[in-house]
Amino acid sequence: MTQTTRQFWVRRIVWAVLIAITGVFVIVKVNATMYVSRPALDFYRAVEAVPKDKIIVISCEWEAGTRGENGPQTEALIRHCFEQDKRFAIFGWTYPPGPTFGQQIAERLAPRYHKRYGRDWVNWGYKAGGAIFIRAWAKNIPGKIGRDIYGTPITRLPAMQGICTIRDVGLIASITPSASVPVWIRYIYGFYRTKIVYACTGVMAPEAFPYYDAHQVAGVLKGLTGAAEYETLLRYRGDAMRRMPAQSAAHAAIILLIVIGNVIYIYSRRRPGAGSPPGR
Amino acid sequence: MSLAAFAVVAYAGVQSGIFAKDLGIWIAAICTLAMYSILYRENVVFRLFEHIFIGLATGYGIYVVITQVLWPKWWTPLVEQGKWYWVFALLMGTMFYTVYSKRLSWMNRLAVGIFMGMSAGLGVVGFITELVPQLSYSFKPLWTSTRPYIEVNNVVFFVTLIAVMSYFFFSFEQRNPVVKGSARLGRWLLMVAFGAIFGNTVMGRMSLLIDRLEFLLRQWLQVFGRQ
Repeated sequence: MTQTTRQFWVRRIVWAVLIAITGVFVIVKVNATMYVSRPALDFYRAVEAVPKDKIIVISCEWEAGTRGENGPQTEALIRHCFEQDKRFAIFGWTYPPGPTFGQQIAERLAPRYHKRYGRDWVNWGYKAGGAIFIRAWAKNIPGKIGRDIYGTPITRLPAMQGICTIRDVGLIASITPSASVPVWIRYIYGFYRTKIVYACTGVMAPEAFPYYDAHQVAGVLKGLTGAAEYETLLRYRGDAMRRMPAQSAAHAAIILLIVIGNVIYIYSRRRPGAGSPPGR
Repeated sequence: MSLAAFAVVAYAGVQSGIFAKDLGIWIAAICTLAMYSILYRENVVFRLFEHIFIGLATGYGIYVVITQVLWPKWWTPLVEQGKWYWVFALLMGTMFYTVYSKRLSWMNRLAVGIFMGMSAGLGVVGFITELVPQLSYSFKPLWTSTRPYIEVNNVVFFVTLIAVMSYFFFSFEQRNPVVKGSARLGRWLLMVAFGAIFGNTVMGRMSLLIDRLEFLLRQWLQVFGRQ
């Protein structure tokens, strides 16, 4: 067997092992216990603190590619809003499918909490224009949004009563895998001090913490772990909590594979007559 | 031949209740498996589905631009509401394409210049409202005598900040042993940060894999119980 063929098969075996371990923990039900971190607790408290006369903007800035992380985050947040009778608006300005995914989640959860579209929540849909749109939107929400996803003028919807400017928004929840939260911070928090919470993917988490540290975002949900922490706070076992054992098993498998790989690497270097290790 | 075998297995699976009956779930499952087939090796099925996705995304992008931007924001005000001045938006947009003509390319520079100025203005606002608060919050108390764990955090933060910033002193040679040592520590701390970022990336990618596996094993392959 040549070096290239061996490498080819070793890589595939590693992937197969990872998929098999993760798959087993997806099938087998294991009860996970979550420790709730301070940023997730602050996220939860920021939602709780929104007064009844204000609306929560759930900015669904994600699409199918990160559904595995942003989906459970959105679901936990919408569940919390329904439980606490908080009005909310689903909105998106980065990825067009985002508000559609948010709407699907809200419609699935609504019957359980006896909630109705238009009265308890509204969907503004996707709006193009980026930072310039956000600047204009803050000053005139009904004027810039116009109609909801079903073509109804938003001023006719009970959920939008009394909502005119950013002063009527109690919280902005940015759920996104992209670097769109700086736009909220620059043009909304920076000017109006409207509270922002940030639900990011695991990849983006290290970039989220400088904002949290500087109090520019009130709370952070970090990937699937953040969603599981939020579910713990809601005393509910949803998608995120169910997936955490598989996540932990996959991490343990990766650590083990790294250790095995390094032991083999050191052994192959120490072997008499061994040349440069592969990949060097 | 393999396609026929797949169809037979699929039909038998649906009839016996092993696979889902929903067509949408089947399409999603086939797409997922086709994309994951790259894990074995480059193949025709992966290529086909990759091109389908690219085509769909492009088509969807064009649809969104027409229905969300051009039609409601430009065409309707211009034609239906009689706001004639929106014609200047068309002129400005057309100026970008003058780059292809040597004689008219100055118009392109004009349009690009306007947008660069606008971006720079927004950038200045961004610096003040985004980065200045972060700078001010980097001044943390190192001694409060009330909450020791916060002090430890602040000391770690302070040491990391100074060490990493000293690593980025590239304007002069780092001969001073204090600066040199601090820069070396900064380099190590950066490595730790990169490790943390990579760990988070792995965590994120595994979450996406779990989502797909859960879909395949629980929704498509219903033998393991529907969600």
